[in-house]
Order: sequence, then C-alpha cells, then structure tokens
Amino acid sequence: MPKLVVKNLRKVFESFEAVKDVSFQVEEKETLCLLGPSGCGKTTTLRIIAGLEVPTSGEVFVDGVLVNDVPPQKRQIGLVFQDYAIFPHLSVFENIAYGLRVRKMPESQIETKVHETAALVDIESILDVPGKKLGLSEMQRVAIGRSIALNPKLLLLDEPLSNIDAKARERMRAELGKLQKEIGIATVYVTHDQLEAMTLADRIAVMRNGLIEQIGTTSEIYDNAKTLFVANFIGSPSMNLIDCEVAYNEERATLKSGDFNLDITEFAETIRDKSEGKELVLGIRPENVSLDLVKTDPKAIEAEVQLVEPVGAKSIYHLKISGLTVLAKGYPMPEVNVGSNVWAAFNKDKLHLFDKKTEQAIF
Amino acid sequence: MARTKGVAKTVVRYLLLIVVCAWTLAPVAWMVSLSFKGPTEWYAPNLIPIQPIIDNYISLFIPTNPIGGSHFFTSITEPITKPLINSLIAAGLGTLFAVLVGFLAAYGVSRYRAGGTFIIFFTLLTRMLPGATFVAPLMVFYSSIRFIDTYAGLILLYTAVTLTYAIWLMKGFIDEIPPEWEEAALLEGASPWTILRKVTIPLTKGGLAASALFIFILNWSEFLFALVISVTQVTTLPVQISKYVSAVGRMYGTQASLGIIATIPSVALGYLIQKHLVTGFTFGRIR
Amino acid sequence: MVGLRLVNISKKAGKRQILRSTSLEILDKELFVIAGPPGAGKTTLLKIIAGLIAPDEGEVYIGDQMVNAVPPGERDVGMVFEVPPIYPNRTGFENIAFPLEIKKMNPESIKERVEEVAGLLQITHLLKRKPTTYSGGELQRVALARVLVRKPRVLLLDEPLKNLDAKIRERTRVELKRLQREFGMTMVFSTHDQLEATAVGDRIAVINDGTIEQVGAPEELYDSPKTVFTARFIGSPTMNIIECALKQMGESWVLDTSDFKVDVTKRVQAIEREAMTSELLLGIRPEDVILLNSPEKGRCFEGQIELIQNFGDERVVTVRVGKVSLNSLTGRERVFRYGQKVYVKFKEEKAHIFYRKTSFAVM
Repeated sequence: MPKLVVKNLRKVFESFEAVKDVSFQVEEKETLCLLGPSGCGKTTTLRIIAGLEVPTSGEVFVDGVLVNDVPPQKRQIGLVFQDYAIFPHLSVFENIAYGLRVRKMPESQIETKVHETAALVDIESILDVPGKKLGLSEMQRVAIGRSIALNPKLLLLDEPLSNIDAKARERMRAELGKLQKEIGIATVYVTHDQLEAMTLADRIAVMRNGLIEQIGTTSEIYDNAKTLFVANFIGSPSMNLIDCEVAYNEERATLKSGDFNLDITEFAETIRDKSEGKELVLGIRPENVSLDLVKTDPKAIEAEVQLVEPVGAKSIYHLKISGLTVLAKGYPMPEVNVGSNVWAAFNKDKLHLFDKKTEQAIF
Repeated sequence: MARTKGVAKTVVRYLLLIVVCAWTLAPVAWMVSLSFKGPTEWYAPNLIPIQPIIDNYISLFIPTNPIGGSHFFTSITEPITKPLINSLIAAGLGTLFAVLVGFLAAYGVSRYRAGGTFIIFFTLLTRMLPGATFVAPLMVFYSSIRFIDTYAGLILLYTAVTLTYAIWLMKGFIDEIPPEWEEAALLEGASPWTILRKVTIPLTKGGLAASALFIFILNWSEFLFALVISVTQVTTLPVQISKYVSAVGRMYGTQASLGIIATIPSVALGYLIQKHLVTGFTFGRIR
Repeated sequence: MVGLRLVNISKKAGKRQILRSTSLEILDKELFVIAGPPGAGKTTLLKIIAGLIAPDEGEVYIGDQMVNAVPPGERDVGMVFEVPPIYPNRTGFENIAFPLEIKKMNPESIKERVEEVAGLLQITHLLKRKPTTYSGGELQRVALARVLVRKPRVLLLDEPLKNLDAKIRERTRVELKRLQREFGMTMVFSTHDQLEATAVGDRIAVINDGTIEQVGAPEELYDSPKTVFTARFIGSPTMNIIECALKQMGESWVLDTSDFKVDVTKRVQAIEREAMTSELLLGIRPEDVILLNSPEKGRCFEGQIELIQNFGDERVVTVRVGKVSLNSLTGRERVFRYGQKVYVKFKEEKAHIFYRKTSFAVM
C-alpha cells in the first residue's frame, strides 16, 4: 500500500495555474524528489500534500485515506521548512516535545519519545542547547527530529539545503542521506538543485510549468531522459544539445549540423521513421565526449579548446567543433590549453536524439 | 457542500463589513445631518432634517446672523476665516518641518546608526506620557520667552511633538531600501545629497507621503496645546469649535458645520497624495 | 585596467576581528577569486577595495596609487553586489544610465554607451521595461551593465551568482569569464562555492576567518594545498582527513590511523624531526581511494559501505573502515549496495600529510 497517492492535482491562484495535473505515488521507505526550476509548481504541490493549500481539484491519499478535507495537523505528515523554523528560545528537548505536548501526550511518554527520537537523529548531546545557539546541521537534525517524533506516515521537506553554503551543503547532504536510510519513512522533498535530487532520492519527478515531465529512478532520469527539458535539467554540466538532421545515403546515416557530421549508421533503422525529414536535437553528456591530442579514434572530430574550467578531479573543456560549442568533461590534461587543437570522440552508446518540435526523445 | 459554505462565508464577511462601516461613519453622518438642522431639531433623533437650513454654514462666516429666527446668540463675533488660516499655517508648517527634520534624522538613524540605540528610544519616551503633563511646564516656558499666542510658538510645538512619529515612520520606509542601492551610487561618484535626491527620496516617496498625511491629521486636530497657547491671535479651528456656546447651551448645529468644513483639508490632502500612498504601500521586493 | 595591492589590511567590527592583517596582490587583467566560507571576510575585503569601508590598518593600492584617502566615488572601481542595486522606479535604460547621469554626461553619449553595453550583455529587450518584471538572472545582468557602462578600471563582484538557480549559475559563470577574457578586465570575484572558484579563477585566494590560507592557481591549490583548510575547502567531495601517527615498520615508514596504514617511506625525509613521533594528519582525496570487491596484493583494508550518492556520471561511496568514514569517488560502471563489504586501497603517492598542531602541510 503506497504511503502517499496524489491524483490529478490542480491548483489555480487567481488567473495563474500553478499546478496543472500532477499524479504520483510514494511507497513505504521510498524517497521521491520533486525537482524543477522556480515556479514549476513543486512547492505548491508539497503544500497541498501538507494541507497548507487547498487544491482546486484532485485528491491526496495518505496511507490509503483521503485527506483533502483533513486539516494539516491531523494528516500525520511531518513537514520540515526551508529555514527549519526551530523555536529559538526553547531548548532542543522542548522543540521536539512541543508537538507531543500539543497532542496531550503524558509527560512520562514525552520524555521517552524525545530521547528515542534524539538517538535516531543523533542529537542526544545537545538536548539542552537553546534553539538560537544551534549550528545549521544541528538545526536540520532537530527539525527532522521534531517531525518524526510524531510518528508521521510521510515526511515532507521543502528545499532543505537551499540556503546553505556549498561546503556545509555537501556535509548535510550526506547526513540527510544517512538519516533517510536509518529512519526509513516515506519522504517527499522539493528542490531546484539536480545534484541534491540525484544524491538523495530513490525516484525523481521532474516538473515544469505545473506538470510532471518525467518520473523515474535516478538512473532512468539520468540515462533515459524522455524530453529535452529533462535531459537539459539533469546533469552538471548540462547535456550538450545540438540541432541537427539525419541524412540517409544508401545504408549510411549521418547526423548533420552545418559542417558537423556524425556517422550513426548503426542506429539508422531503429530511428528511420521517427527521424527522417524532421528537425532533431542531438544530446550527449559532457562526460561522454572524450578528448585526445592525437586522432586515436578514427571517428573523432577536430575541435578547438575555447575555455578550460577545472572542477576538482576533472576539468570541463569548452570546445568549438565546426562552429558549434560542445562541452567535454574529463580528467585534466595539462598540455591542453585555450587555443589547443584536440580530437573529440562521441560515445555512440550514450547518444540521445530528440525531436525538436515535440521535445520527445526518439532514441 | 463546500459551495454553500463559501457563499455563507461571503455573506457573513460583507455583513461584518457593513456593520463596521456603519459604526465608523455613523458619527460623521450625524454631523452632516446636524449641520443642516435648526436649533429646534438639534436634540431630535431624526437623521434627515425636517427643515434643512444652511444658516449654520453661513453663520460661520457672518457671525452676527441669528440662526433660524430664534434668539440664540453666540459669543462669537468674527468669522472663521482667521482660525481656519491659523490652523492651516500651524498644522501645515508644523508638518512640513516635522517631515523635513524627521526624514533627515531617520536617515541618520537608519544608515549611520546616529545616536546609537538610546536616542531612538528616548524620542519615543516623550510620547509615552499624556500630553496634559506637559501643559503646565510648557505654559511657563512659553510665557517666559513670550511665545504665548504666537505662530512661532504653535509651529514649534507641533513640529516638536510630531517629530517622534516622523522619525519612526520614515525610518521604517528608509530601512526597506537595501543599503547596497545607495552604496552603488556612492561608488559611481554621487555625493550623499545626490543619493538622497536621486535614490532614496524617489524610492520612499510613498512612505513620505503617508507619513506626512498622518502627521498633518495629528496636527490639524490637535486641541489641548492649541487651547493653552492661543489667546486671540492664533486660535486654531479645533479651539474655535469649542467656543461655539451661547447663553443657553452649545451650538451644535454650528459646531457640526464647522466640523465638516474642518475635515475638508485633510480629505483633500489625502485625495491629492493617494497615488503616492498606493505606491508607498504596495512597494514590494523585486523577485 | 590595473592591478591591485592590499597590504596588511585589518578590520574589526564591534568585538569581532573580521580581517587579520591580510595582504593580496592582484595582477592587471586577472580574474582573481576570493573564496571562503560565509563570514570569512570576503565582502569586507571587497568593500575596502571599493572604499565603502575604511580599514583599521593597512594600505590599498590601485595601480601605483595608494587610495586609502580617496573616496569611493573617485576610485574608478565598479562593484556588483549580492543584491543587485536596480531601482524599481526606473526603467532598465534609466538604471544603466544612472552612473553616467551622475557624471553629467550628455544625453546622446549616454544613449550610445547604454545601448552598447546592453547589446554586449544581451539585455536590449529589457531597456524599456521596469525591473519588477525581471528574473533573477536578468537583474544581475542589468546590474552588471550598470557597472560596465562606466568602464571602471577594476571590477569587483560580491557573490554575484549566489541567488541564481543552479542551471543559470553554470551558464552565467561561463559568460562572466568570457566577458573578462574578451575585454581584459581586472576582475575580483568572491564566492563561497569552491567549484565556481576553480572553474573561473586565474588565481584564487582561500580565506578563512579573516586570514588568507593560500593563494594560487586552481591546480596548485588542488594538488598542493598548504594548509588543512585549503585541502578541505578546495575539491568536492571534500578530501578525507584522518588523524594518524608516524610509525616505523621494519624498513618502511607508515602513517598509522589505527584503522589503516599508508606507506610514506619515500617522503619521510620531509617530515620534520620533532614531528617524527608527534601527531600528523593524513589527507587523501576521494578519487585516490580505490574500492575493490576482493582483497588484492598489497595494502588493502576491509570496510563496509554506509552511503552511496549518485552524482550522475560518478558515484560517491562512503565506506566505514574501522572507526573512520571515508569518501571514495568512483565511476558509474561499478554497482554497489548498502552494507556491502569492500576493500579499500589508497593511491599512496597522492597522500597529503599535515602537521596536526599547525595545520600546515609537510612540504
């Protein structure tokens, strides 16, 4: 029995349709991420699930029960806000106990429950610390602790790592990941950062303009993007997208874009009917474009390096190939600099092809 | 089910609105009604005058005109033009100075933390005591410097008293403007005065207008100090209203008509600057 | 365009020492990045260069001129703030023209300049509109245009990409670098994101708590960090840092962390006499931590997988070896499971050694 079922949600604010038609399910112990740019409707959807917004139409079921008319506090859902909303004047203990007290839990039980929760999120050592003295990572754990102390059926997180600097985010992401595994509650969270989605979620729902463009496991979304938007949104740096056409010549099929040619005879038949005569977009992720100083791959294409961005263990190379800008990501090559001429090889197994008009993947 | 709930909610909402409006406007409506009534009807409960007259208004300007043929004479011998002008000068200039000085002070407090946390609190203190406590010392002080019954005395008082509000109100509006917006101009070679002129004031126009209006209303309707300070020369409108008594009682009709006339400047001002008021209040963050 | 020099700048705010005798030299036409965690002093440093804040001690040189006494309006420095200074009551054109207005330039010249810059930054379509309709990225570009229209000799940018969505950030940083290159601007850029810093900067100054930890090119900082802070700050995922002691085992010397050992016989000469028995820190980057499914010849250690993070083209696997958790960066071809037993091997020649007391690297 899925812990959360969202069916055909629609939400209109005055004349603005924030959520058009959203449906998905979340199983027990699963983490689903609603991923999308600002304004795509992800936060509104989350708020509808929490009960903070009333949908214009559509249904929300928590653990099989329809909760549309159930007020937020009775839905058995835990919600963690973007800024954690910890009561600064109360101690950590009091913060967690707060919800329990509101529900009139007897004091003796509260004591046990708080300690149990604290152990789970590893905050036992700071139970006496007042809210305002907590560090960010501690606040995150207290916020989560506070939510799960009430034994919710579902945990919701609204952009939990947005306002944090890069280094702290890395640390807290790992902590959050570990916590999720340990606590094992069905979780939905919202973010605009695709890396957060990829590292923390089991499944991702990529949203745009109030609709889910694609929903699937992280690998599915990464490897088999169904639309141009998803392909572009996931992955850092973004996937290379090149407008092109297929030219069929006897048995040979070639992708053409201006002076750029790529032989794709191996796939000619699979895509013939969907690609002939149509405007297409070729997609290839930077890590699947390999560089070499000599033409080791017979199919490699000449390229000029325009920019090098060192990003840790690897580097991003901005290449100019036949007038197009293509990004390649790989281990740093000290001999390669701006202006160098290199040979770029495209990994054929990792090609994506999209129909330019419909934006759907055809390969 | 939800539909009828919605309708019921709207009905209740409008009912409440009507009640509140009626409650607020009732005295005004009554005043309008009184201002057109003759002395015979002043104590009568009817809203619409049975025999409407305009003598109340006329007598404001031509005081010797006996009202409605009866023989209630007032002690007033001059028309209200002088008190009207006095009020305009006192409230007008008082507001102007309060806003000018207040704005600069608010700017200093907001941007340069002038006076630390103490001064700003101190200015609030003056408003925490009832006005009556200051009356006696004020009288003594003013008489010693011969400010009694002078324009200077009244204007100075009005400025000083409303300065607190001016600073508090405008500080809030200035705080809304991110300091970076002014720092950018500073980097571009603008002098602090240019910044005020080209950046801060245009952006806080709405707030300034709202503050000015609020302070004007305060000054315009101020009674206690005006009563104490004025003798004959600088009588303001509120004081003048209180003088409409006769041998047999208060001249409600005339007072009402004077009251109505007194509201005109405030309403006019509000109307004139309402465009700025709206900008002032709906000025949101850019997102 | 000119170079910059900061000599022994100190600044206190209230009780807190924000900058401690920091010195920097920035070359003409360089894209210099000041990188550090929030609160390190980056904004203060930039504001001191601009003249908006006066240092308690130290001198600021722009070109050959000491500018301590020169007011900000006359230093010919442009600054882009985190919060774009765009006035909502003026159109895009008027905002960009503002600095020229102050300089009392004639209207025709103003028009010319504004249109030139707008074309450069591709914001001509925003000129007639008011800023309340702009997106975050557009706001930043108009703010940049406002600064560029003056053609200042030094350009300062204070965390300019912070408030932008992840995808837009990627694009904008490339644009900024391109602009800087094309026009040979001397640019000083501050950020908390080390990835941005290394991708964009010619040289980077890593700053922590008011002190400059290290200055150098991205590769330098990555390969040869001089302090533990720099080692941890640069590179994502963060370098693994583990406490250890130097021990002799027969002919060879090892760093013993009590959970595993790393051979450092070749480098033992560099370690100072006093440190021979004292405490050290071992630093090893995640890409130098190799995971094996079965034990190999040579030194490898048993561990258990705690966390797997999907980075798209790579995986970050957290392995627990004894009492220590180590991060390992691997390709996506390998499949791992939670709780799986693996064997950890290190690229020993890539290990970094630091003195625990001073946090400095062993050279």
